[in-house]
Amino acid sequence: MEEARIGIYVCWCGSNIAKMVDVEAVAEEMGKLPNVVVAKNYKYMCSDPGQDLIVSDIKEHKLNRVVVAACSPRMHEMTFRKALENAGINPYLFEMANIREHVSWVHTDRDKATKKSKSLITAAINRVLYHDPLDKRSVDIDPATLVLGGGIAGLAAALEIAGSGKQVYLIERSGALGGYAAEIDLLAPYMNSAAQVLDPLIEQVQNHKNIEIFLESKVTDISGYVGNFDAKIEKKGKEVEKKIGNIVVATGLKNFDPAVIDRYGYGKLPNVVTAMEFEKMLKIGKVETKTGKLPKNVAIIHCVGSRNPDYHEYCSRICCMNALKFANQARSILPEANIFDLYTDMRAFAKGCEELYTQTSRKDVLFLKFEKGDLPTVKKAAAGDDCDMVIDMHEALSGEDIEVPADMVILMTGTEAHDDAKDVAHLVGVSMCGNDFFIEKHPKLDPVATTTDGVYIVGNCVSPKDIPDSVSQAKAAAARILASISQGSVEVEVTTAEVNEDICCGCQTCIKVCPYTAIGYDEEKNVSIVNEALCKGCGTCGSACPTGAIRSKHFTDVQILSQIEGLMSLEV
Amino acid sequence: MAKEEKPKIKLAVYWGAACGGCCVSVLDVHEKLFDVVAAADLVFWPIALDIKYKDVEAMPDGHIDVTLFNGAVRNSENEHLAKLLRQKTKVLVAYGSCAHMGGIPGLANFTTKDELFKRIYDETESTVNPDKIRPQPEHEVPEGKLKLPEFYNDVRTLDQVVDVDYYLPGCPPQTERLVEVFMAIVSGAELPPKGSVVGALDKAQCDECKRKKSDNKLIKKFYRPWEIQDDGETCFLEQGVICMGPATRGGCGVRCIEGNAPCRGCYGPPPDVPDPGAKMMSAIATMIDADDEEEIAKIVAQIDDPAGTFYRFSLPGSMLRRKLT
Repeated sequence: MEEARIGIYVCWCGSNIAKMVDVEAVAEEMGKLPNVVVAKNYKYMCSDPGQDLIVSDIKEHKLNRVVVAACSPRMHEMTFRKALENAGINPYLFEMANIREHVSWVHTDRDKATKKSKSLITAAINRVLYHDPLDKRSVDIDPATLVLGGGIAGLAAALEIAGSGKQVYLIERSGALGGYAAEIDLLAPYMNSAAQVLDPLIEQVQNHKNIEIFLESKVTDISGYVGNFDAKIEKKGKEVEKKIGNIVVATGLKNFDPAVIDRYGYGKLPNVVTAMEFEKMLKIGKVETKTGKLPKNVAIIHCVGSRNPDYHEYCSRICCMNALKFANQARSILPEANIFDLYTDMRAFAKGCEELYTQTSRKDVLFLKFEKGDLPTVKKAAAGDDCDMVIDMHEALSGEDIEVPADMVILMTGTEAHDDAKDVAHLVGVSMCGNDFFIEKHPKLDPVATTTDGVYIVGNCVSPKDIPDSVSQAKAAAARILASISQGSVEVEVTTAEVNEDICCGCQTCIKVCPYTAIGYDEEKNVSIVNEALCKGCGTCGSACPTGAIRSKHFTDVQILSQIEGLMSLEV
Repeated sequence: MAKEEKPKIKLAVYWGAACGGCCVSVLDVHEKLFDVVAAADLVFWPIALDIKYKDVEAMPDGHIDVTLFNGAVRNSENEHLAKLLRQKTKVLVAYGSCAHMGGIPGLANFTTKDELFKRIYDETESTVNPDKIRPQPEHEVPEGKLKLPEFYNDVRTLDQVVDVDYYLPGCPPQTERLVEVFMAIVSGAELPPKGSVVGALDKAQCDECKRKKSDNKLIKKFYRPWEIQDDGETCFLEQGVICMGPATRGGCGVRCIEGNAPCRGCYGPPPDVPDPGAKMMSAIATMIDADDEEEIAKIVAQIDDPAGTFYRFSLPGSMLRRKLT
């Protein structure tokens, strides 16, 4: 190894760091450490002049290692790596010491904060000495895409991608496309026909030359990595294999089964129906009780299975507007009926929804509020009553216990994950939250990507949402995928794990611990093999490996141990 | 006899804090002993030869070609001889687990000198010591001054006391490996770089182990070897029996495993593993087949004497080194 020539840069971050850390003293002291050739402090290291300082020092002083003491590496590690690259040295010969989030922002004693900064920078210097140059790697992207789920999100994604001339394989486990949208009569909030929205979409998909549809099919296995997946598709007992570069997961959610909530009487009282069952009545244009009478009293109950720790804590998002939609439709069909809407909070946040609420409230619909922990109870009416059922509730706005007459009760059932969501997650390599929804790479800034490159999640399988949101996500994923296809190749993680085959003894401890199924076993050589394209550099295998054969690049034992040594070397 | 011009090498064997097994392993060369003595003069070996410390002290520096130093450094006598032999020897070999990493005596670093003395001189069931008499390094008697080596608080490896040229691991090292190394030295073959582990492989035990292995290392219950009916062919870990094999160099011929006992780790870690105990614990942790914290704690609690299991031969030489107070 050539002799290390390190440059140290201590950032003021305006006054963010400088007010609590004596940046000048820190730079001066760090300058005295062995191998440190330059030690400077500067007001904003991330600014163009700050980066230029590094670039010109690298050239002038022949630096071959750089440490910047500034903010979190999450913020600016990439910025400074780029600067090293611009100066012609490998970007991985760099280490950052976080003296903002870890020091100036969280401490109040300037002397101690200054000392701690020195410790952190000493640790970074110790570590950077052992950094190895790492080379960027890229893999080619297969232009075909696999879309899992033929609901509205899957259809939208498939059309968008196919429309750019790229092949799509669309997998649907049922015998028809359209998902739940195909079972709906009208769409909230504008009350337009669902069929008029959905049917042309299905038709376009069915007739598209770039879309191959697999109905009554499922994907049984996916192997490979971004740009180069192999999918096994089972269609009516026959297996087909397809090569694809990207995957869109649009598997949706299912309806909550209200039979588990005793107090609503679903399954026992014949005129208690779910939202989807009421939808079916609307579709055939026949809203009547089991005995064929027009209901004189219609009650709609919100939040069935949602926003309740006993069932699902989350809000299912679509039910409030569907409830208003039902109230409107019921009013049109049953102009004489009493319509009661039993709600906890009215969630009308999407475009046009508050307006729908206002319109509905003018249509002689009685809104009755119950508290989340104080649910109404549906029971059979007494023999002399002029209705089929009675709902006992504590009306929160008036503060009174009241009885609501009902001949038909519509339960606004929420949505929940499919029973096999876990299998899908495992198949494509995505994580799930406690509700069995799939987890985004970043909930705010990367909401359709996942931690597995090339796998995107859209629509309700991520969390409950309405059609515009599902379609937006589908098109966002399509845009991401088309961008990667047009690039032709994609850069993959370089800080991966590698197996030293001279040391690996074939114990196979590492294989099961890999969350990305990136490790295989080579029987002939009796060693484990890391597929670098799949590896995300998480380091789990490196810490599990009992022989020390697996090295996590950029997180090697010697790098981490010397960093710890550096941290402990100063008296704090 | 005309060929006898080639000078014989001078060989010394010494034991520090050791059980004697290493010296016996040297004796175990059996008839190969004739080859050894044909090539070497034994100039110092307390277990077999009556040569006094003062004889060694009288030797010129570098007089001994090879010293096999077995045993850890536990007291002032061990330390004195380690330093003396280093001075008198060209090639100093840390022979066996105790000199290499501290070995079984090194487990004493999980306690302190005071705790040990209290137990041994006050508390053991067979001790009667009402005056709480303790051994002293020096004691005046009418005949003069009596001296005992000073007992240290720490057990140290040989290389924590003096510079070591090579390490020959094992408890004890396999005699065949010793003969190979010895013959390489006397034949004038090119020696490996200083500091190398010799007489052992870089690959861990599993590479030579013939038991069936898979990635299915999921442990719901840990067993001690006598608690299960070993099927004789499945990886011990996959049966829930802790085997140090994956964190231990090969070279012994997987003798314990061939004898249906799990590896205990005497050959030490493969290269670049600074702490075999931590490595193995980390590996074992990934095998525990539970997601629930309480269940995990229950499963882990089944590991009998974890410190002694994972650091059986390596405590003084590991990063952990010893218990603090």
